[in-house]
Amino acid sequence: MPDAASIRFRPRIERVGDAALILTLGDEVAPAVNDLVHRVVAELAAPAAAVAGLAAPVPAYASVLVPFDPDVLPEEAARATIVAAVSRALDGPLLPPGTLVEIPVRYGGRDGPDLAEVADRTGHSEVDVVALHAGREYRVFLVGFAPGFPYLGVLPGELELPRRATPRVRVPAGSVAIAGRQTGIYPFATPGGWHLIGRTDAILWDTRREPPALLVPGARVRFVPA
Amino acid sequence: MLEVVDPGLLLTLQDRGRPGYAHLGIPPSGAADVWGLAVANLLAGAPAGAPAAEATLGGLEIIVRETCLITLGGADLGAERDDGLALATGAAHRLPGGSRIRLTGSRLGLRAYLGLAGGIVADRVLGSAATYTPATIGGMDGRALRAGDLLTPVRRGDLAGAGLSWPSGVAPHPTTDAGPIRFVPGPDLRDLDPVVVDALAAATWRIGRASDRMGLRLEGPALPAGREIVSHALVPGAIQLPSDGQPVVVLADGPTVGGYPVLGVVPRAEMPRLGQLRPGDAVRFRAQDADRARAAWRAQQARLASAGAALAADALWLSLADLAGA
Repeated sequence: MPDAASIRFRPRIERVGDAALILTLGDEVAPAVNDLVHRVVAELAAPAAAVAGLAAPVPAYASVLVPFDPDVLPEEAARATIVAAVSRALDGPLLPPGTLVEIPVRYGGRDGPDLAEVADRTGHSEVDVVALHAGREYRVFLVGFAPGFPYLGVLPGELELPRRATPRVRVPAGSVAIAGRQTGIYPFATPGGWHLIGRTDAILWDTRREPPALLVPGARVRFVPA
Repeated sequence: MLEVVDPGLLLTLQDRGRPGYAHLGIPPSGAADVWGLAVANLLAGAPAGAPAAEATLGGLEIIVRETCLITLGGADLGAERDDGLALATGAAHRLPGGSRIRLTGSRLGLRAYLGLAGGIVADRVLGSAATYTPATIGGMDGRALRAGDLLTPVRRGDLAGAGLSWPSGVAPHPTTDAGPIRFVPGPDLRDLDPVVVDALAAATWRIGRASDRMGLRLEGPALPAGREIVSHALVPGAIQLPSDGQPVVVLADGPTVGGYPVLGVVPRAEMPRLGQLRPGDAVRFRAQDADRARAAWRAQQARLASAGAALAADALWLSLADLAGA
């Protein structure tokens, strides 16, 4: 995993239709790049930096989508605002570590129907798979796919598997899953192609809560075997 | 007040949408054709983006429980009263209690908007009444409408707009040019074969059957697929190119993040036209400069504003005539 010192940032800004720009900071999934993504988002969202015509930025692994209203803020001004936010983010202090959220998980059995297969295909025992999965702290790189679905990384290389060849039509809500170097939690029963290794009772999405998502970009997560 | 007898293919409450929550995985949702929504609402004396009922194709059947004003916008889905009287799109109709309305089907377009005086009463979640069924939020308990559901006007008993129709001086369609759907190229052209922009514009595409409020699947000649990219945020209108070379266009309920390269984005002024494409329809695309796209959007908003002003004046005349008659 590259660290901050070895990452070369090559920021670029491109048009997304007629009312958004996207800032891309790199072409890899790396905590250092994602750190900068969240710092840029914090700069753009800071009340002191509020710019009329700029809407809520949308972070991903290595990019920030910035919707704007060209009738209020000309594109050139929107670009300048983003460039200024990047430069403040690069110069500014690191973000304080995100809130640590513990997620209790029942691994295996009916709650994690793919645990045995994951163990088999990675050459580990089921106990080792659980220890590897629960043995480190993850970061929420982004939230997407479904409301409140966190893309968590980085999964230990020992557990890296491609997605299932055929996605399931229905993955139960609360399923804890892995794919590639990522792990995630399904907030709702949805179709899904990741490997299901456990399940949690944590409520990932509740519109009566502010924010409704339990895990927001930048938060830290630890899985605790229940 | 109306009662749903049969919702048809899909009936949901939608408004202008719920932007600003994509970072939490929430798409904007809202009417697939916001122009059609605005037509229904302005005729009903409601703000252009107020909640209305979005009906899909045909089959909708409704019974009027209490005399009310009903307006129609969007596609002409052949609305008629049980006595055979056709109900025009782009007009406000006074319907007496007990009458029934049904949508007999469409010759052109996919979605009709049914407005009630002042808008329709709906659940608001995160600032919007738009229904987003995957997360069961907005509209009516976050779900599609079904038989027995009641639609209540915000201004119950207000019949003042009966007889209004879309101002003749304002074009009834979102764009004055019915040619190819415009798209602004990018942002992922560096991950794609540069020929894809011209290849998209050169072909005639058919709308796939698996299309819905999340996205339109385009069927046609396979475009050269790009490489998978590090997933980034998407907006409605984004034209994604998966590995099979068949583009998928993101609509109002579509994913907020995607890992396929985006070769172009349909601008705001053209989105209402996308929302009216039916499975099987043929469609063409043409690249457009972002500045022209913005000018088209401004022109569209100006037409809505002048229609709104003309309708407000017409409504005032109607109510004065009513007073004079009484």
